[in-house]
Amino acid sequence: MTGRSSAVAIAARLRHPQTTVRWRLTLLYGALFLVSGAILLTVTYVLVEHAAVSRPPGGLFVKGTALERRTPVPAAVRPDRLNQAFSQLPPRITSVLRSPDGQVAIRIVGAKQRLADLHQLIVESSIALAIMAIISAALGWLVAGRVLRPLRTMTTAAQQISEVNLHERLALEGPRDELRQLADTIDRLLARLEAAFNAQRRFVANASHELRTPLTAARALLEMVLTDPRATIETFRTTCRQVLEESEEQEQLIDALLALAQGERGIDRRASVDLSVLVAGALHSYSANAAERGLALQTSLAPARLSGDGRLVERLVANLLENALRHNVPDGRIAVSVTSLHGEAELVVTNTGAPVPADQLERLLQPFQRLGADRLRQREGFGLGLSIVAAIASAHDATLHVQPGADGGLEVRVHFPRPAQPEPQPSKPGSGERRAGQERPQSPRLAAHAQGAVGADLEPGSDDDVDGPILTGGDPADRSLDIAGDVERAPQQR
Amino acid sequence: MRVLVVEDHPRLAATVATVLRREGMAVDVAFDGREALDRAALTTYDVVVLDRDLPGVHGDEVCRSLVATGSRTGVLMLTAAGTLEDRVEGLGIGADDYLSKPFHIAELVARIRALARRSAPGLPPMLAHGDLVLDSARRLVTRGGKPISLSPKEFAVLELLLSAQGAVLSTEQILERAWDDATDPFTNTVRMTVSRLRAKLGDPPVVETVPPVGYRIGDAA
Repeated sequence: MTGRSSAVAIAARLRHPQTTVRWRLTLLYGALFLVSGAILLTVTYVLVEHAAVSRPPGGLFVKGTALERRTPVPAAVRPDRLNQAFSQLPPRITSVLRSPDGQVAIRIVGAKQRLADLHQLIVESSIALAIMAIISAALGWLVAGRVLRPLRTMTTAAQQISEVNLHERLALEGPRDELRQLADTIDRLLARLEAAFNAQRRFVANASHELRTPLTAARALLEMVLTDPRATIETFRTTCRQVLEESEEQEQLIDALLALAQGERGIDRRASVDLSVLVAGALHSYSANAAERGLALQTSLAPARLSGDGRLVERLVANLLENALRHNVPDGRIAVSVTSLHGEAELVVTNTGAPVPADQLERLLQPFQRLGADRLRQREGFGLGLSIVAAIASAHDATLHVQPGADGGLEVRVHFPRPAQPEPQPSKPGSGERRAGQERPQSPRLAAHAQGAVGADLEPGSDDDVDGPILTGGDPADRSLDIAGDVERAPQQR
Repeated sequence: MRVLVVEDHPRLAATVATVLRREGMAVDVAFDGREALDRAALTTYDVVVLDRDLPGVHGDEVCRSLVATGSRTGVLMLTAAGTLEDRVEGLGIGADDYLSKPFHIAELVARIRALARRSAPGLPPMLAHGDLVLDSARRLVTRGGKPISLSPKEFAVLELLLSAQGAVLSTEQILERAWDDATDPFTNTVRMTVSRLRAKLGDPPVVETVPPVGYRIGDAA
């Protein structure tokens, strides 16, 4: 039964051969063998036939002298004439030779015998060739199977690897050949996939923790006050205020998550943006905060154009400034500089703070990562700031360098690519112009603000730590934007 | 009953602690794993309410360390990740119970009580002594069928004494089980509470003073 069914299977397979590489290789081996065998056979046949004619038997030598073809033979004894004359005879005259001294030799071969010999040679060789062709096909099948075995192993392993067991690897062993290289490449791909999946999983777990905890707190607060038999109007008020604060915290978190998602999605509309204007705007809202914390703010802004989404870049700047403020030390310092070199805008934010170990830098760019337990304890921020910065930077093809500051803290450098030249405003020509028009009146306001709020002397170029402004544009109107100054430390809070 | 709440969200921790104190439990709060382990090393808690995602030492580690000491402490794990795998994993680490955020505070209280009962084996939810009945789940005390209104601390002290089943409890023991670190009680506090309790319970007296050691529930009449 089984024998029959397997025979049926083989027959079906033969009728509809699967176009597998193994079959193709087998066919190729077989065909190549057959062709070379046939060529060999033909060559042998020709050689044998030729040899039978050209090698003169011993009887044709007359008096020790080999007969020569070159010697003219009388027309009457040419082979065709002779064959005509003796046409009824079975033997065949193949050549007529004459010795130099005039003797004529007629060579007659037993043609029937020779033909039979040649026929036998052809038949036997063909049978041998057929048998060898079958054997070679079978060997080809085996060899192809052996060569392709790592490929099958890889296929099976790859089929078994899914989202659940991404940690598994093909781990192909054997010589470093093409197949091994392929397997190693797939393994590296799997490693990258695994890392991405893990990051995603961690992100979801962290996001759910960060979102559910304030929700739980709000719920617990409400349940607490509702089940309190001695609750007064005042307790209700306090609780409501706390619930409101919790919901504000959730709102901020959702905002941050949306910004992160947007940064990771990339930007769909680009406009020409002046980085220094955005930074000046952000400094406007943060300088009071810096003064409150007793932090010295050093700024050096030069016009620097980039092509991107203004709102996202604004968020990037705000996050960097917020980080610099938040993770600072008392009597600390924040330096912000915007430069443009060869048309490439660069923003550098340096802050003093607790020393950051170099090996922790990569972790800081991951979502929900904060350094040290003490920072978490204060629940300052969600640990999304720098990952949002990284996402926005990569959406703008900007490079982000984070390195520990010389005296603790961080130095973050965002280097934007040069905007595409020239910059046409495709559909909305108004937006870019309006933006460009806005920035000029803003600069004096900024300078006045910096002076007024912190009450310090603005001395252009007086700061040693911050590079002097680099002016690229020839437009004198832009020059008014450039401020470089050392802002004295604001009065201490405590 | 002494409970440790480990939660890194300060407001949630404070709210849970307030509710549990209102329920007559002595509650300490720890904001990270390190602090939780330090506190657990100093005080024997009946129940530890443990947030899983903790800064410093992770909640899982805290749970393992608590279980490794072999103490009777019940561990109730709180977590934002409420999938089946997470619950199974949490219980596998050694947690006695699992509650995912957001939770109902009433359920949290009920589960803490159930855990505390389990960690002191052989105690029914209703403690009785003569005609005095204490229902720890519903927080009711009746004597001769008439309800008696007790403050959380008075209730906690009575619950302790009834649970001891006639054994003598020292003032220090009562302090440790019924008061937490948030209050700074004098030894006097226990005496005051017991005398108020005695007055509310009425005659015949239930709580006996055993000088100079402490207090016990007298033999049933």
